[in-house]
Amino acid sequence: MIFRAVEDADLIRKARRGDVEAYNLLISRWERRVYNYLLRIVANREDALDLSQDVFLKAYQNLRKLDDPARFAPWLYRIAHNEAYSLFRKRRPEGETEELQPETLEGAATVGGNAVFPVELTLAVSSALRKLTADQRETVILKIYQGFKFEEIAEIVAAPVSTVKSRLYTALDLLKTELAPVKAPIKARGVT
Amino acid sequence: MSCSPFDLRDYYFKDLAENERRLTEVHVKTCAHCREELDRLRGTETALLALPDEEIPQRIGFVSDPVFEASPFRRGWDALWGSAARLGFASAAMLSAALVVFSLTRPVPQAYAPAPAMTSAAMQAAMQTEVSKRLNDAVAQAVAASEARQARQTQDLLAASDRRHALETQAMMVRVQEYLEVEKKHLNTLILASNDAGGGNGEVR
Repeated sequence: MIFRAVEDADLIRKARRGDVEAYNLLISRWERRVYNYLLRIVANREDALDLSQDVFLKAYQNLRKLDDPARFAPWLYRIAHNEAYSLFRKRRPEGETEELQPETLEGAATVGGNAVFPVELTLAVSSALRKLTADQRETVILKIYQGFKFEEIAEIVAAPVSTVKSRLYTALDLLKTELAPVKAPIKARGVT
Repeated sequence: MSCSPFDLRDYYFKDLAENERRLTEVHVKTCAHCREELDRLRGTETALLALPDEEIPQRIGFVSDPVFEASPFRRGWDALWGSAARLGFASAAMLSAALVVFSLTRPVPQAYAPAPAMTSAAMQAAMQTEVSKRLNDAVAQAVAASEARQARQTQDLLAASDRRHALETQAMMVRVQEYLEVEKKHLNTLILASNDAGGGNGEVR
């Protein structure tokens, strides 16, 4: 008997044949990442959860349209991106460019009940992220938090790679300025 | 402003080609300013990562509900088209079916109707007739050409002969004239001699 890791592509193939359990396993691999991506975009836990469910339902319904199972992640995030921006448009029918005023995510300072970073730093980061435009913030989330390549981000947000880079680098310049006052005391306390 | 040969941010996010990355790496080792810039980038990323992921408040899962299940036909259809090998087999089967249908439905070609068979003797006779006809025509043409050529040559020869004859006649006339002159002189001489001998004046004029 040979054991091997079950790849996403295997689960996708099974799910395409109607295997719901295989799809549930696929969801369990991605739900946390997709939820946090959406949470940082819409900055509302209920919306993020609802959108996550919608994303996985749409992905299941359109799984046959996925040409290359190896491109599942960017494809899934493209659906999530569309769902999030669809929500923005619904909430802002008059076409305002800036997104909703997010709720403060104080809970982000702890993971599993243990304090990982000082509260002031997480608050400062949340505040600094809110000062970015929606496009800049999404690019930072996809690159820094989700670890996508520039080409994948370009596919997700449907923009050229040069635009993606420009958004990210401008955002990082802004964040560098915003976070400079809080980084120094943190370093002094030994958090790197 | 960075003095790096390539964008330090591309270097930081590992988005440079290998040779560009090596050049930037060498530069960064010797440039304190660029090292500081990289440290600032690293510091910003570290600060951003201070915002940890949250646990999803409720697990997402689907149950197998017949409402959402594809029909057996649809599943079979998807299974067929979902595999390259099966797709290849299906293509080959369709091609075979198309060939069979084509071979069964194409119009029957008309049998080749040979020309009525001729006997070899008749064929040989016809060939001989045709050959002799063409040969006669060719010979007639050659003879006509030859006769025309000979006629021209004859005419040329006759003309030349006439010219030569005229010249000869003229020369003979000159010679006759000269002869007559000589004879006349001789006769006169004789007459003079006779006159001298006989006393008469019998000069010929």
